[in-house]
Amino acid sequence: MNDFNPEKGYVALLGWSLNAIDAVDRFDRRYVVVAPPWAEDYCKQNDIPFIPWDFDRLNERSHELAHRLADEGVDVAIPLYEETVEWAGAINAVLLKNPRLLGQSMLFRDKSLMKRRAQLGGIRVGVFEEAHDRGDVIRFLKRVNQTLLKLDGDPNDPIHFKAFDKSGTAGHRVIRTPEDVDNIPDDEFPALLESHLDGWEFAVEAWIKDGKIQFLNISEYVTLGYSVFVPATPELEAHRARVTEEIEKLIEAFDIDFGFIHPEYFLTSDNKLYFGEVAYRPPGFKALELIERAYGFNGYQGLVLMFDPNTTQDEIDAFFPEEVTGAKGHAGCFGVYPRRRVVSRLEVPEETANHPYFEFHELAEPMESKVTKRTAFGTHWGLAYFFGEDPHQLRDLLKAQEELDFYV
Amino acid sequence: MMNLMDKGVGDVARLTATLDVALDRLDRSRPFSKMSNQRPVLDVLSRMMAAEGGLDAILARAPDLDRAGLFAGSDWDAPNALLPQLSGQTLEGEDRLLAALEVASVMRFLAVAMGEAQHPALQQDHARHFLTQLLALNLRRFFDFSDEASRAAGPRAEITARVLRMIADRIGLQDVLGQMVHEIWRILEQRPVQMGPVKDMITQIAIVLAREHSPSGPERLGAERLVSALFGPTGESRDDPGIDAYVARLDHLDEVALSREAMGFARSMHDTGLVSDYHAGFLVWALDYPDRPFVPEALGLGSTGSNCWQQFQGLIADLIRMSVTPATAQAVYGLAQLLERGVLHAPPIAPALRRAMTIDFAPAVSDRLALGFGPKIDPHSLMIAGILDVLGKPLGVGQGANPTCQSARALSMWALNDPDFLLHLVVQAAEAETVVMHFEGHRISSADLPMGLAGAGPIDADPVSVLLVPHLDRIYAEMGRLCAGRGGDPHRWINPEFHGWWVARDCAVAVDVATGKLDDYERFVARFHESYHPEYNGDRPLIHPQPAGIAFTDPTGAFIGWHAITILRVAPGRTGEMRVYFYNPNNDSGQDWGHGLTVTTSGNGERHGEGSLPFEEFASRLYLFHDQPHRTERLKAVPPEVIARIRDMAVESWAKTRV
Repeated sequence: MNDFNPEKGYVALLGWSLNAIDAVDRFDRRYVVVAPPWAEDYCKQNDIPFIPWDFDRLNERSHELAHRLADEGVDVAIPLYEETVEWAGAINAVLLKNPRLLGQSMLFRDKSLMKRRAQLGGIRVGVFEEAHDRGDVIRFLKRVNQTLLKLDGDPNDPIHFKAFDKSGTAGHRVIRTPEDVDNIPDDEFPALLESHLDGWEFAVEAWIKDGKIQFLNISEYVTLGYSVFVPATPELEAHRARVTEEIEKLIEAFDIDFGFIHPEYFLTSDNKLYFGEVAYRPPGFKALELIERAYGFNGYQGLVLMFDPNTTQDEIDAFFPEEVTGAKGHAGCFGVYPRRRVVSRLEVPEETANHPYFEFHELAEPMESKVTKRTAFGTHWGLAYFFGEDPHQLRDLLKAQEELDFYV
Repeated sequence: MMNLMDKGVGDVARLTATLDVALDRLDRSRPFSKMSNQRPVLDVLSRMMAAEGGLDAILARAPDLDRAGLFAGSDWDAPNALLPQLSGQTLEGEDRLLAALEVASVMRFLAVAMGEAQHPALQQDHARHFLTQLLALNLRRFFDFSDEASRAAGPRAEITARVLRMIADRIGLQDVLGQMVHEIWRILEQRPVQMGPVKDMITQIAIVLAREHSPSGPERLGAERLVSALFGPTGESRDDPGIDAYVARLDHLDEVALSREAMGFARSMHDTGLVSDYHAGFLVWALDYPDRPFVPEALGLGSTGSNCWQQFQGLIADLIRMSVTPATAQAVYGLAQLLERGVLHAPPIAPALRRAMTIDFAPAVSDRLALGFGPKIDPHSLMIAGILDVLGKPLGVGQGANPTCQSARALSMWALNDPDFLLHLVVQAAEAETVVMHFEGHRISSADLPMGLAGAGPIDADPVSVLLVPHLDRIYAEMGRLCAGRGGDPHRWINPEFHGWWVARDCAVAVDVATGKLDDYERFVARFHESYHPEYNGDRPLIHPQPAGIAFTDPTGAFIGWHAITILRVAPGRTGEMRVYFYNPNNDSGQDWGHGLTVTTSGNGERHGEGSLPFEEFASRLYLFHDQPHRTERLKAVPPEVIARIRDMAVESWAKTRV
């Protein structure tokens, strides 16, 4: 571990992320990793400060952990995963003597509460409802399509099904037919149901300190669950001022003083911005890595700055570059799914390998030749990374990957 | 889709820029996350090495790649321990990322060899030596000889050829042939049991020599000597006519000519340790010649050997018929040496060999042998050939690329000192698939034990090792388990029980096992003198080979690990200095142990297969030896300055952190 600055805070990282640990180990803050006991040996061998902890459902033991961290001298806890968001809330309520933080974290963890709170804060959301069983889902699917004046036999407009407490694309299903409903496993209930919005979907990463946005990135999805790049095209960046306003509404509605949020939005064809959902933790799909590639700063270190009560504004100003113009280029990645039912080996398509924007990939050789059918989103077989100057060319390139076979 | 014309130089420039991004990320990452940051680098390297000019770019960055941690957590992190014989396979292997890793590693060697970079664990000489061997082992690939394997490897074979050509351009090929010949002679001098790699290298040389543009000069002469030993050692075989044609010629030769053939073979064999296939053909043919006068002549027997031949003609003829085939030609040399050792005169040996010729191989054993040596060779031929080789050259047993120095050492020791016991084990293992030993009265059967250090056991060794090492390895591990909880080094109890009664029961250890620190080291050194050095022990010779443990150090003197060897004898070398002659189960005893300690294998009075060091230098790397109570009245005090010298050498290297 590097020498840390004794003037600055001591942070606890909740959850196991090697990339996060690596980044924070290189930073100037003292830190400790709080993660499941299986990581203990690894941490010992590598001199990573470590406290073993099982993050199961939040329970009365959160108090125990909070006091343990307080005794250790930790100033603040940073959640790295969806599952640790409410733990961080409970712990920070104690460490920062601010009981409100626990309630706030519960809002982030429950997609239905989250949506209602946003609605109350004057944020535009789509039609949504909670589902506790498959019957609820069927009813919602029917009602939405009746509203759209569909006749029996017309293809349904899809609805979205999102398990309450799963993050990102895990547990996110698109439902079109009653058969789709049958395929939902029991453990994904309760869930949030949403009408489908046709439009441009994108995500935002916002680093927040003192109730102010310190850095705002817009991540443009090319296809949800497949590809994303940063910074976005000028066409999407043109909406930055509105997006900033929307984030400020979120900050107010959720009473966010510090931290990091990762909301998703839809820009519909009638130019309205709809709020999808928001998470109080780093995004998946290696978004922070893409941001680092494009802007050169490390998102995890940015997180630490936001959470540490001893951070100064000068430090923050020196840390973040200019938004958009400070980027060296556009960085994107593509999640590869095998397109064939039976595959035998990995073979990067020649047009990908030879493209000047292609950097490298983290794809593994197939372990089994038979490809299991995809359920929900998620579970790609690895990411391919791209970087280039022209965002339109990058976007088209990412789109084109969907038609290529990486596994043959 | 980009224009294909853009490929080439522009391609490398772009890939290099991408590499630098990934390299920078790897460089910045902490030691614990090196692994996850290596992959992107390897991915880019794998594309770079295929591009025109890519190898030059990799060479330029090789030291940076190494420093950034590309090799962290893998075997490649210890460049001194890498084996050049594995590089060729990795370069052409299926795993593209591993091939990229190998290219980066080879380029690192090249940068160090050319003096353009320095590496804390890789010396310029060693780097050069490694690359020379790499070229030597892959001459075929280098010259673009197309064979099935390289055809199947496709573009990867092309990349490998370019890598090799790049090395040759910078290191020089003249050097390669000369070094290769020198290297082969050095290895032959040790008379290893396993001759496959050496014969392979000589075959490659033969191919090069047959080409017009091959270099000439003294290297060529040395090379031709090796090639002729293998492919045409006599007047009638010089033109390499093929075995059948050669044997047909023999029917037309008179006795004088036949005798000349026999002597030609014998001279070449004893000179090099190499057995030509023609030699094997001749010997089998000579068995049917009236009175068999050319058999002892072709074996090049001296008085002891001739005597054995006269006494045991029937047995020896059967052994030859069973074991000497073109695939097992080396058995001829093993047999000659076996006869010369006179061990046939020990009563159990002749019947034990007869017994071995009638082994009923358990199916799993034949399968294993087929796995190691191919399915075409009859297991009896293979096993008898293996037995002759091991009994003829006990010091030629090697552990292959396996962590089984203990087992290899035991095999060698039995072959030397207890050959009928070894034959007994071979029969047990081949028929019953088990080896039974006892530890302090406790019966241990290898069949009941889990796998040892070597997993299922080696298949890249000689047939006797392939058969026995899996069993010995398990028994050895079990004896270790039985010693768990006892204070002190377990070898104290294991060594005598595992090897035989002749291993002395007393034992001295240089370090305290619990703390790893030196433990009364001065006494340890003095005691070694009192037990082994003729000037201090009252001129008492060492009678039986004694197992000993050394702290194995690399050419920088850094500690690598504990290693098992056998002390064979202590005697004055050519210039009168006292030396320890020992057996090292490593395949090549000639090693640089750092700080000027170079184990020699010839030139200092060594017998074939022995390594040697001056007594004090040897003592400085010793950490465990066995002895028996001394007769104090004959001992001479060891001067303190001798002990101090040895201690200094130890503390400068392996014992640095143990004081």
